[in-house]
Amino acid sequence: MLLLEHDAKELVHPLGIPIPPGVFVDSGALDSLALDDGAWVVKAQVGVGGRGKAGGIGFAASKVEAADFIRKHADATIKGHRVAGFRIERKVDFVREVYLSFMVDAAERGIRVMLSAQGGVDVEAHAQHADAMLSAVAAPDQASLVAAAHTLLRDLPNDLHKPLGDAVEKLARAFLRLDATLLEVNPLFVLADGSWMAGDMKLGVDESALPRQPELEQAIRARPDAYRESNFKLEHDFDYVGIDAHGQVGLLTTGAGLSMMLIDEMLQAGRRPFNFCDVRTGQLRGSPARLIEVLQQFTRGPDIAVVLVNVFAGITDLGEFAQLLLAALDAVPEIKVPVVARLIGNNFPVAKQLIEQSGRRITVEFDLDKALQKAVELAGGAV
Amino acid sequence: MSGFHLDPRAKVLVQGATGRMGSRHTELMKRYGTNIVGGIAGASARRDVSDTPLFGSCGEAVAATGATASVTLVPPMDVLGAVSEALNAGIKLIVSPSEGVPVRDAMAAYAMVKEHGAFWIGPSTPGLAIPNRLKLGFIPDVSLKPGPLGVMSKSGTLSYETCFRLASSGIGQSAWVGVGGDPVKGMRFAELLPFFQQDEQTRAVLVLGEIGGTEEEELAAEIERLAFNKPVFVLLAGSSAPEGVTMGHAGALIQGGRGTIQSKTSALRGVGAHVFTSIESLVEGVTRSDV
Repeated sequence: MLLLEHDAKELVHPLGIPIPPGVFVDSGALDSLALDDGAWVVKAQVGVGGRGKAGGIGFAASKVEAADFIRKHADATIKGHRVAGFRIERKVDFVREVYLSFMVDAAERGIRVMLSAQGGVDVEAHAQHADAMLSAVAAPDQASLVAAAHTLLRDLPNDLHKPLGDAVEKLARAFLRLDATLLEVNPLFVLADGSWMAGDMKLGVDESALPRQPELEQAIRARPDAYRESNFKLEHDFDYVGIDAHGQVGLLTTGAGLSMMLIDEMLQAGRRPFNFCDVRTGQLRGSPARLIEVLQQFTRGPDIAVVLVNVFAGITDLGEFAQLLLAALDAVPEIKVPVVARLIGNNFPVAKQLIEQSGRRITVEFDLDKALQKAVELAGGAV
Repeated sequence: MSGFHLDPRAKVLVQGATGRMGSRHTELMKRYGTNIVGGIAGASARRDVSDTPLFGSCGEAVAATGATASVTLVPPMDVLGAVSEALNAGIKLIVSPSEGVPVRDAMAAYAMVKEHGAFWIGPSTPGLAIPNRLKLGFIPDVSLKPGPLGVMSKSGTLSYETCFRLASSGIGQSAWVGVGGDPVKGMRFAELLPFFQQDEQTRAVLVLGEIGGTEEEELAAEIERLAFNKPVFVLLAGSSAPEGVTMGHAGALIQGGRGTIQSKTSALRGVGAHVFTSIESLVEGVTRSDV
């Protein structure tokens, strides 16, 4: 997952990374904004790249100008991600902008170090030129990362060696310390006195490593809206992603790959899925809690016309699952739409009988295509 | 490094054989016909793994049984330690089903696996199988059937569903390897291709891929490099996933415009693979072909 720039900077700052001083501002709390006159940069905080080109960065010379920019962009959406707030920071006088990043290279099973003497928002354009972007892969330890970066540095102008030598050392350490998957500093400002500062920053972190990264977990928990999916997973230990607030089909499904496929097929059939989820039936352990949690999410969907349940159970007993499903529906009486339950696995006849005897509007199917078709019909008109 | 192969009679250890899941799956693998020769007991071992001998460490177990393969049914934070222990005991094939192994642990584990000239499947995988002969992990029996398809998959459930439907229409598998849904992993699609090339039982390859990463693109390059001459059928999931959001699998993430379905589709079609975006169309495509 990608952290907001503000959180990234505040997390790496204690690890020795120099950053321009800045504050996080919520658009709803502009009245309490205290800002001297002077040169400020106002940056929309959003968990996806490409913000600069989408107009999410502005300059301000006063509190009024900063507030204006914030009001104008408070409700903006960039690549489908809502702006979560703003970081206002001191504008920095620099002599040069360079690019430096560390990134997990899954294919190489190592860390890719990338370096360019020309940073900034047009780094992709620079990268088209041969030799503009230098790159090497190293093992995930401090000595290897620094050695790889120093080899690249040799091809850069001499005046960059000192600031970048220091930056490489500190950023590599922060990358490893935080179990990062990406730490990109672009631009990295080189100042007149030969020091450096992280201008913009993207920090991607490994959610699987959160059990050993308490500061990261705390930063994620502090922003339930900005990091909704990660917080959901921390809270409930399974995956749930909102897809379409006006979705017609609520998906109560297990398995990441098959759930993704169902969303694709639902859209191919012209119906809007409300969500993605992977409830992991193998971990229900006799409790309907996860099913209840998903059904409660569905109560927020004004256009949900059908709930599609899909369980391909290798081990899970379907009779037990049927009981949990009925208990979950009892616990969330707001769900009044019909349910199509596609079940396959041990004890299907028991599950079917249990559900049919409940008298609820639940269609039990064994065949996935039939279940999909039924859900598509019940979802109403095509969009 | 010598080539990857599967021996249906391989002697197999289960690391973490005494946990709730561990004891259950040890029993199920054994019942399927897998040659389970021992389990490694955790510190708070429950000694009720039917007739599977328990050992205190992989070293002891290998010395006593001659095991060459291992399944690590341990919590995600313990996978790196389990892989290391297995390798040091001389194990050459390790399957790690755990979900949620930190990326850095996976990188460290892979480096050790490579150094030992071993093979690692996973993490975040239901495992591998040769239908009716061998199962390392928990691919459901109902989806397994001997046949011509060499299967490799990032997703457990999508492969269960697809292979179940194909099996129901009479088309089974020669071997099935779940590479798993994590970004950094042991064997990748492209690295399994030479195995399916050489395997005489395999008449076609079925790939269950998804958005994120570059594994499908690497596979396309390998199909070309090997001049792979068996038909390749691919089902890709996640065409509708939003950018920057992880879709259940840690690896299923589109970032900075990379990892998209378009890139994967065009790379694979470019080398003659048959690419599908719904289960039904894939099943039809495979059944209509002459495999």
